[in-house]
Amino acid sequence: MKKSRVVIINCRRILPDPVRPDPEIILAMLKKGLSLLAGVSSAGEALSHWFRHGEAIGIKINTIAGKALSTAPEVSRTLGLWLGSTVTSVEKIIIWDRSDEELRQAGYRISTSGGSLKIFGTDNRRAGYQNQPVSLRHIGSLFSRIQAELIEASISLAILKDHGLAGITAGLKNYFGAIHNPNKYHDSGCDPYVAELFETEAIRNKHRLTILDAIRVQYHRGPSYHPRWLAVCQKLIFSSDPVAADTVGWQLIEELRARKGLPSLKEENREPLYLRTAEKLGLGKSSMQDIEVIEEEI
Amino acid sequence: MERRDFLKITISGCALGLLSGYPGFPGYSRSPLAPASLSREEARYYQKLPDREIRCDLCPRFCQLGDRERGFCGVRENQGGKYYTLVYGQVASLNVDPIEKKPFFHFLPGSEAFSLATAGCNLNCKFCQNWEISQMRPEQVKNIYLPPESVVATCERYNCPVIAYTYTEPVIFFEYMYDCSLLARKKGIRNVVVTAGYINPQPLSDLCRVVDAIKVDLKAFNQNFYHEYVRGQLQPVLEAIKQIARSKIWLEIVYLVIPTLNDRSEEIKEMCRYLKNEIGPDYPIHFSRFHPMYLLKNLPPTPVSTLEKLREIALNEGLRYVYIGNVPGHPGENTYCPGCGRVIIERYGYAIRKKEMNGNKCRFCGREIAGVWS
Repeated sequence: MKKSRVVIINCRRILPDPVRPDPEIILAMLKKGLSLLAGVSSAGEALSHWFRHGEAIGIKINTIAGKALSTAPEVSRTLGLWLGSTVTSVEKIIIWDRSDEELRQAGYRISTSGGSLKIFGTDNRRAGYQNQPVSLRHIGSLFSRIQAELIEASISLAILKDHGLAGITAGLKNYFGAIHNPNKYHDSGCDPYVAELFETEAIRNKHRLTILDAIRVQYHRGPSYHPRWLAVCQKLIFSSDPVAADTVGWQLIEELRARKGLPSLKEENREPLYLRTAEKLGLGKSSMQDIEVIEEEI
Repeated sequence: MERRDFLKITISGCALGLLSGYPGFPGYSRSPLAPASLSREEARYYQKLPDREIRCDLCPRFCQLGDRERGFCGVRENQGGKYYTLVYGQVASLNVDPIEKKPFFHFLPGSEAFSLATAGCNLNCKFCQNWEISQMRPEQVKNIYLPPESVVATCERYNCPVIAYTYTEPVIFFEYMYDCSLLARKKGIRNVVVTAGYINPQPLSDLCRVVDAIKVDLKAFNQNFYHEYVRGQLQPVLEAIKQIARSKIWLEIVYLVIPTLNDRSEEIKEMCRYLKNEIGPDYPIHFSRFHPMYLLKNLPPTPVSTLEKLREIALNEGLRYVYIGNVPGHPGENTYCPGCGRVIIERYGYAIRKKEMNGNKCRFCGREIAGVWS
């Protein structure tokens, strides 16, 4: 059975401001990560593995925890501008989350005008939620029109965090921000909801890449911001297998926890079981023995 | 134009234009979303935990939330270790309804109820009739700000003897409902609550001190149904029903009969026995007709014959006031005297056609009829 590939790119240089990392360094990490993931030497060529020319691409970020612990604008904007200069045009890129206000609080400037990256929330006048709920297994939700209608391809660019209920929140759970009622899906460790949501047409058919922003990782007491349990890791994690990406992210959180003498998520009875459910649904690999991890530095 | 239609159009001037959050209003629109002008009133019934976490003690979910997280209801949020209700005074739906629409059949029949709701619910019923407000967060619907003083003043202006907290799940706007009720009571206005009964004993006990009647939607009499179709538990609802009955405020129960899911005769028989043993035979039970809705569109409406059969079972088990709901014109809408068997309140839909009572007694045989009649 072919293993799923996950690439981890570490930044060797100490980032002077990990909250606002240097876009040039981020671009180098992105290029290297995606080239390795695609198994090609040219970064531009790598993108054509996942995106068709001229596609509208959504970059779903996570801004729920405010400026201190959200996908950094320097990461998402750098990715967006690069995509916009290679596989598509910048006005076809939408960096988005639930609301304009959450985006602003995370340091983003709302932009809906032509000729530049689009950055806005589902609550923006240009978007909103669809009128009829999508029903699949245990999921019954209205989808953001951004995910369902305005984009053709999707990247989950989530910040990697511990999560008090789900175990971890990463690329899969990031899509909770694409529906109107994520609050209904947090019981039983968000299992099977995280996996089942990803299985819906609007997500599964559009998702192309997971990129985990692990520049800074909240490894305990997440998803809220607690500086005491925040590690500066200077990593980006890449995979086209959304389950494998999160599984590797989970291992990173476990390593950080072990290093600090904290119990494992399993010991705290909050292992992210939704990853196994996702594998059962055929969404990707959740066992490290089925995952090929390539780790490099820049 | 009837008064309630007039009220829909004119109440609170410009406010009314914003009340299209309720599906009954023309021009209802979910998108673009309402501006985020939510309330920020400290919630009651919660505990502060270490690291800015909190535990909500309002309902049996006991949501434990980190900073900036919301509970299952979507309307209560931890902000920096303090818990807030975001819907205090944020009304998403406002109407004047006949009290029979709630339904209350033994509580001031023929009264008009000033009825309101905020967004949100602590359950997730797949068959919700009002999902367009109940399954939304407050910022996803249009709201008007109506503080308790304005609720009571408007209710008085339109001579409504009752305020009904209804449509969504009033438990999740507990603080607002409580303060409105307290104020209304001082003005001689009654308060009634339409709820699924998913609430913890302490808040329910406090609520029972300020309201006059509660209608509980008992969704089924088996835990599997509650787990699968409601996303809750049965037992806390049964406990709430018993607690309400013990509190001596008026209680009615509605059971929405969904074909193949909660319509087994044996289950209904068991439920009726349970209710008779635990709360007695005098609290009305309404078997209501299901119509395909929300996420349960693959089932047909309940056959009237099923409702009739279940009504018969309940009567045979000794419950005295058993109704059929959502079938206008059906004889099961009428109130029959348990003494002489004659019709003492004749209804058509929400309208009362005839009332044959002297005070709280049957006009024909003098038997006392359980309820609140004046």
